[in-house]
Amino acid sequence: MNTEAMIRLYDISKHYRSDSAALANIDLRIDKGEFVYLTGASGAGKSTLLKLLFCAERPDKGQILIKGRNITRLKSREVPYLRRTIGVVFQDYKLMNSRTIFENVAFPLEVQGKRRIEVGKKVYQALKEVGLEERMSRYPLELSGGEQQRIAIARALVVGPDILLADEPTGNLDINVTLEIMELFKKANARGTTVVLATHSQEMIQRFPRRVLTLEGGALVRDESC
Amino acid sequence: MRQSSFLCIATVGTLTATLTIIALFALVIINLQALTGRWSEDVQVRAYLEKPVRNAQADQLRKRLGSIDGVDEVEFVSREKAYSRMRQRLENADLLDGLSPEVLPVSFDISLASELRSREGVLELLPRIKAVLPNADLRYGQQWLERFESFVQMIYAAATVLGGFLLFATLFIVSNTIRLTLYARKDELEIMALVGATPFFIKAPFLLEGAAQGALGGGLSLGTVYLLYQAFFREGLGSLLFSIGGYEIHFLPASHQLAILGAGVLLGLFGSLSSLRKFVKIG
Ligand SMILES: Nc1ncnc2c1ncn2[C@@H]1O[C@H](COP(=O)(O)OP(=O)(O)O)[C@@H](O)[C@H]1O
Ligand SMILES: [Mg+2]
Repeated sequence: MNTEAMIRLYDISKHYRSDSAALANIDLRIDKGEFVYLTGASGAGKSTLLKLLFCAERPDKGQILIKGRNITRLKSREVPYLRRTIGVVFQDYKLMNSRTIFENVAFPLEVQGKRRIEVGKKVYQALKEVGLEERMSRYPLELSGGEQQRIAIARALVVGPDILLADEPTGNLDINVTLEIMELFKKANARGTTVVLATHSQEMIQRFPRRVLTLEGGALVRDESC
Repeated sequence: MRQSSFLCIATVGTLTATLTIIALFALVIINLQALTGRWSEDVQVRAYLEKPVRNAQADQLRKRLGSIDGVDEVEFVSREKAYSRMRQRLENADLLDGLSPEVLPVSFDISLASELRSREGVLELLPRIKAVLPNADLRYGQQWLERFESFVQMIYAAATVLGGFLLFATLFIVSNTIRLTLYARKDELEIMALVGATPFFIKAPFLLEGAAQGALGGGLSLGTVYLLYQAFFREGLGSLLFSIGGYEIHFLPASHQLAILGAGVLLGLFGSLSSLRKFVKIG
């Protein structure tokens, strides 16, 4: 199969403190359209690895290429443009609670200066994908946790990103809701978005087996494809 | 992008208080400066001659003085004229009864071209007069004005130092109140950065708000000072100045009003900017 690398890490290391490495000498290639789990115990370095991919943290050593472009020494004024091509979802949803669901999902488009009609259409479409188009004038805290996470996913996908990063997106949710959320990631992946999902839920991996990267103390110890 | 109303009032209030004090300083100083300027326009040089001169010689000297660049008019004051002037000026002319005109010196009253009617102008002119009248005793009767002027300059310096200090303190306070606002919204700022907002996109509303608050503070302070001016200055200080100098007090000129507004806007902008730098970090 003729595949194209979406994410490449060359010998990446990251220290928050000098005495311990959050990530050590990671080499990694993730192809376009792949679905990859990132797993490992708490503190293994999953979040750190994701943060490096959208430049929330910078590596101490090594190079990161996204779509062939080296982002290791991206200037901070270029970072916003990288982030517009990457959707990120967190365990704690990170929604703006003082804004409506519509405004939350519309925000990434507004930031990019998209025209109002286009924004309205895309937001509606994205909310429909996650099945919450009827809630768009509600506020995040009026929704359940699972619904809030679906809103966050709609916000991540509304811009049509190349990559979707998810950091323990179902960590706060029960198994039924988790499976609903998984369906959304599968759907996004089926449409061609590269998905990297950090989790320590083995159940999730068993129900929907895909390539699994395992981190231990900042080192990549296993890379199992299925 | 609304601040809480308490923080907004705190910011505008601080700005208003500081700018009011600064505008008051400016009002007082500008009027004192205008007053000294007015007084110094009355400046005149009187050259007392060492010994009396004959009329013909006096006439010749008068012409030479009159041709000096910067001299407007020259009047010869003979002993008799000096004597009659003195009589006129003294109410109790009896005092002069035992005095003969012989004891009075003769002098030239030299008035200055309008562009030289200031202390600096006099100092520029003095050597040229000395060249004509090397032995004359030159008086320009305004040594007290010099002292008054240096007093005004002292007030000016003190006000500048105090004003500068106030501006700094205000910048500090404004930047800290804005920091509280930003702190309350730090989740939102983080989300903005996360979805690819540029720093400018994130900061612009806060900067705009800071500038608007600054302009509001500037406007309120000008209003306050205008009310104080109407209520107290024109009555008290104004009438005092009018009685001594025939000088009418006036409000801050448009350029200074603009400067106060501008200072408000800049304080608001820089206050926001300095805390935004700490809160909006991307990558
Ligand atoms: N901002 C930070 N400052 C200091 N240490 C950190 C920071 N973030 C993570 N760490 C440390 O780096 C290691 C990896 O953390 P993290 O990437 O969050 O792991 P995971 O997401 O797998 O739980 C841990 O030891 C954690 O304590
Ligand atoms: Mg984590």
